[in-house]
Amino acid sequence: MAKTKTNTEDYLRMYRQMVRIRSFEDNANQLYLSAKMPGLTHMYSGEEAVAVGICEALKVTDKITSTHRGHGHCVAKGANFKEMFCELLGKEEGYCRGKGGSMHIADQSNGNLGANAIVGGSMGIATGSAFTAKMLGKDDVTVCFFGDGATAQGLMYEVMNMAALWNLPVIYACENNGYSEYTKTEEIAAGLITARAEAFGIEAHQVDGQDVLAVNELTQDLVARARKGKGPFFMELMTYRYHGHHVGDINREYYRSKNEEKDWKENRDPIIKFRGWLVEQGIASEDEIEAMNAEVKKDAEEAVAYAEAAPYPGQAEVDMHVFTDVKHALA
Amino acid sequence: MPHEVIMPALGMAQDTGKIVSWLKSAGDAVKAGDALFEVETDKATMEVESPADGYLTDVQADAGADVPVGNVIALVSDTAEDSGSAAQAPVDAGGSDDASLPDGKAVIMPALGMAQDTGVIVAWHKGLGDAVAAGDILFEVETDKATMEVEAGTDGFVAALLAEADEAAPVGDTIAIISPEKPANPVQRSIADGGAAKPAATPDPAPKAKGEPKSSPKKAPKAQAFTSADGRILASPKARRLALEQGLDLNRLVEAGHPQPFHVADIEVLSTMPAQTAGQTAAPPRRLTADLPTDGSCAFTEWATENTDLQDANAILAGLAAASLGRDTAIIAVESFEQSRAYTVPAGPFSAITKAEDDSAPDLILRDLRLSRVSTVDLGEEDAPVLTLTRTNSGLTITLECAGHHLAASAAVTLLSEFAGRMEQPLRHLL
Amino acid sequence: MSLQTSNMRWPEEEDMREITLSQAVNEALAEEMRRDETVFIIGEDVAEAGTPFKVLSGLVEEFGTERVVDTPISEPGFMGLAVGAAMTGTRPVVDLMFGDFIYLIMDQLCNQAAKTHYMSGGKMSAPLVLRTNMGATRRSAAQHSQSLHALVAHIPGLKVAMPSSAYEAKGLMKTAIRDNNPVVIFEDKLMYNDKAPVPEEEFLIPFGEANIKREGSDITLIATSSMVQVCEAAAEILAKEGIDAEVIDPRTIVPLDEETLIASAKKTSRVIVVDEGHQSYGITGEIAGRINEKAFYHLDAPVLRMGAMDVPVPFSPALEDITVPTPEAVAENARKLMSGEMIHAA
Repeated sequence: MAKTKTNTEDYLRMYRQMVRIRSFEDNANQLYLSAKMPGLTHMYSGEEAVAVGICEALKVTDKITSTHRGHGHCVAKGANFKEMFCELLGKEEGYCRGKGGSMHIADQSNGNLGANAIVGGSMGIATGSAFTAKMLGKDDVTVCFFGDGATAQGLMYEVMNMAALWNLPVIYACENNGYSEYTKTEEIAAGLITARAEAFGIEAHQVDGQDVLAVNELTQDLVARARKGKGPFFMELMTYRYHGHHVGDINREYYRSKNEEKDWKENRDPIIKFRGWLVEQGIASEDEIEAMNAEVKKDAEEAVAYAEAAPYPGQAEVDMHVFTDVKHALA
Repeated sequence: MPHEVIMPALGMAQDTGKIVSWLKSAGDAVKAGDALFEVETDKATMEVESPADGYLTDVQADAGADVPVGNVIALVSDTAEDSGSAAQAPVDAGGSDDASLPDGKAVIMPALGMAQDTGVIVAWHKGLGDAVAAGDILFEVETDKATMEVEAGTDGFVAALLAEADEAAPVGDTIAIISPEKPANPVQRSIADGGAAKPAATPDPAPKAKGEPKSSPKKAPKAQAFTSADGRILASPKARRLALEQGLDLNRLVEAGHPQPFHVADIEVLSTMPAQTAGQTAAPPRRLTADLPTDGSCAFTEWATENTDLQDANAILAGLAAASLGRDTAIIAVESFEQSRAYTVPAGPFSAITKAEDDSAPDLILRDLRLSRVSTVDLGEEDAPVLTLTRTNSGLTITLECAGHHLAASAAVTLLSEFAGRMEQPLRHLL
Repeated sequence: MSLQTSNMRWPEEEDMREITLSQAVNEALAEEMRRDETVFIIGEDVAEAGTPFKVLSGLVEEFGTERVVDTPISEPGFMGLAVGAAMTGTRPVVDLMFGDFIYLIMDQLCNQAAKTHYMSGGKMSAPLVLRTNMGATRRSAAQHSQSLHALVAHIPGLKVAMPSSAYEAKGLMKTAIRDNNPVVIFEDKLMYNDKAPVPEEEFLIPFGEANIKREGSDITLIATSSMVQVCEAAAEILAKEGIDAEVIDPRTIVPLDEETLIASAKKTSRVIVVDEGHQSYGITGEIAGRINEKAFYHLDAPVLRMGAMDVPVPFSPALEDITVPTPEAVAENARKLMSGEMIHAA
């Protein structure tokens, strides 16, 4: 595992964030299975090192755009459990007052411009965010998260082209988890993914997405250079999602073998790996880690209970926020 | 009371049904919903269910028979014996009741529209003795909207024509007969001399006419260029509102021959029309209807005739009508089977009802068409308010028509509501 | 700066200068870009070329290529970029060269921009202007002649403005840039060189305020964009026949000034709605529907819709010119409504 110059506090925080994501997803999954969560959601479990490794290299004013598999990014960029669970359940105290839901969850105060239900739909937004930073002379960087499946969207090439032409401070982070919905990536993406960025003259890197330190080290480097106007950059992070495409995708042996899943879970889990490294490096003891895990678990359970009891938005909310200058659009 | 088992209406273009087989035999116990027999349609073989629990009796038609839609073919009775009270004589391979008519398939005046109960024959396309194919046009009939062509419906020969061109035949009546063989003695009649055979008294609607309306509708022989088929006046929303606000009657424009649709400019004309001459009533004729899901008076009348001294069903009707009118005494004329009987009805028990003199002016006329095929009436005002009874499936429609001066609007509504209530549940109202 | 009131047709000054619609748009953009340094223009050939219609000429010289940004031919790309820019603190004016290209950007416009404020529970917004055009009879054939404003008017979260002259073009553009919601402005590409009196002093035209271009008492003609001129010409024809037509320009269809339209319908009791979108499933149907609901008992005639024919725009001039409403066609329908002749069967 790669070493960086980050200190103990940072490492512990990284570990904690990954555990928070895993815990959040486990609880969200339970809410779905017990029919308490409306709609669908998409689990990030297994990919924690990607979101955490990257977001730990960002400031709060740096921006990210997210995907339909967006809880991990949201947590990693600093969101709270309580408002997140409320949003997933459609409650008024959710980040979007219950009006966005899992696939549109956004946390603007922490720089999360939002999950997006349209595959690749936020690539333009991320590029525009970088454009603003450049135009207003700020040194903010934007990270655009997307999956391997989104490399099939035309929008990606249009925005990478413009980002490259104008040296925009945007980092395109492709979370390659090997599957685009129910199809293997190699069946939907011809050639190499990094080559796509290189075709536009964009510097591209491939990294082990399960190694949080490696991800973080690479991101720190690219972010520093992007701030200086040397962007854009492209990262392909090799990772794996443990659950199906969405919460209901349970019988999935037809596209993915149980053995493969087992292998990733047991031998390549980012949390287990990092935990091992922390203990080995003497940065934390097993007990301390267990304590941290327990604390996170408790936080999550309390947040779930809070969200379940929290109220829905009143019916008057339905026509609010259609326009910024009209309180109730249908009045 | 026995339940009738009738040949159901099977589809738009079908007016008889062939019994494929009986699934129960005469005398069998049956439950409501049991399949009694199978009938063949264009598309498939359909099962027909028993309408009630009881015993299958009085079977009128055998397997293989073609039965006109609406005909009673059996009863479901309380006991297993035939009661002999089935509504018609046994049906053979189609044809009318009239023994003097040739055997063959009856061609009936089709149901042409919601509000139409007779059809005027414009022209016959085939003559007596002519060979016809099922799809040949047999005759044209005039409706409000257009002239419709009616197909023969069966291969054969024209054996009887029972109405002449320009005559109006009631919907459902037989107006021609097509026989499989060339007729030896074809029959030509006109309605004027009682030609069209009355159909058996059953409640089901006659099937629709086959055939296409002609491409250019005939102009109605009236002054207006546009009128709606159901007599509604066409006027713009603003014109109607102004008429309402100013207390003006759009009918006067209609009577004056003003072309529709009416606009605001016509309201201005209307408001300057001279006041109505003496003798004309200000209020328009009134027509109200009530639809009842069940006709309670039949059961009541049966009970009464069996258990009390009241033997005259019409008197009972008169009593119900008079009670609805709410006067101390009323003379009610009851018309049924083309006979009219007047009754003097004092308030109180029906036993006090007496026959009135035939020439006494009635306060109310009761026109009982429940045993005819007529389903809707719009016959206009008479000298007294008229309550017409027509049958709809297992229920009853009551139509009240009167001149504006006979009854105020609220009185008309009260009369019909009261009478409808009594006809639906006579016992409740008598208590 | 003065705000225009609803019933003033033109500013009342004598000797007011007249400028073309193209110049009016140019002025509006320049003024707003001077006023607010976060406003920028992005699109194809917007900088040196000033767009093929030359509407933006001179702007890149004043504001530089950082604020007048030429893009590759990537409509979804630069529309998406504009959405992201708007969400993070700048105010883009997107130039979509032909309204027909709106199909290409529908996801970014209707799924992203239109819904950002709502889906975030009011916490984020996308203050952008999409500047594009409409109008046929330019011999540009089916894919460059469409008037697609009905498509976007249908989407909650988008505002839609339709200037009918240089005067409206300037006032509505300035309002649009200052509006914090996504606004789509459709300019009639046939009118870029048409002149109209436009005040020199700054002015804004508020959204949701219709303008009565000509007062009348016999029949109401509601018209958008260049159909306003068509109806004014029809009104002239009718005036000679003793029919007094009222011509109203809604100016924005979202928000729509229903009150003015309904009041007029009640006054005259006869209405024709004229728009260059296709006749079916469009603006005319929506406005006619609202008048039906809210002025029904005041109508002495059915509310008529007149739109472009429900056919793709043909290339041949002989065919193209008959697909759009003309003054004579409007006048003919007006005559029928006046005479009470039933246009459709009872």
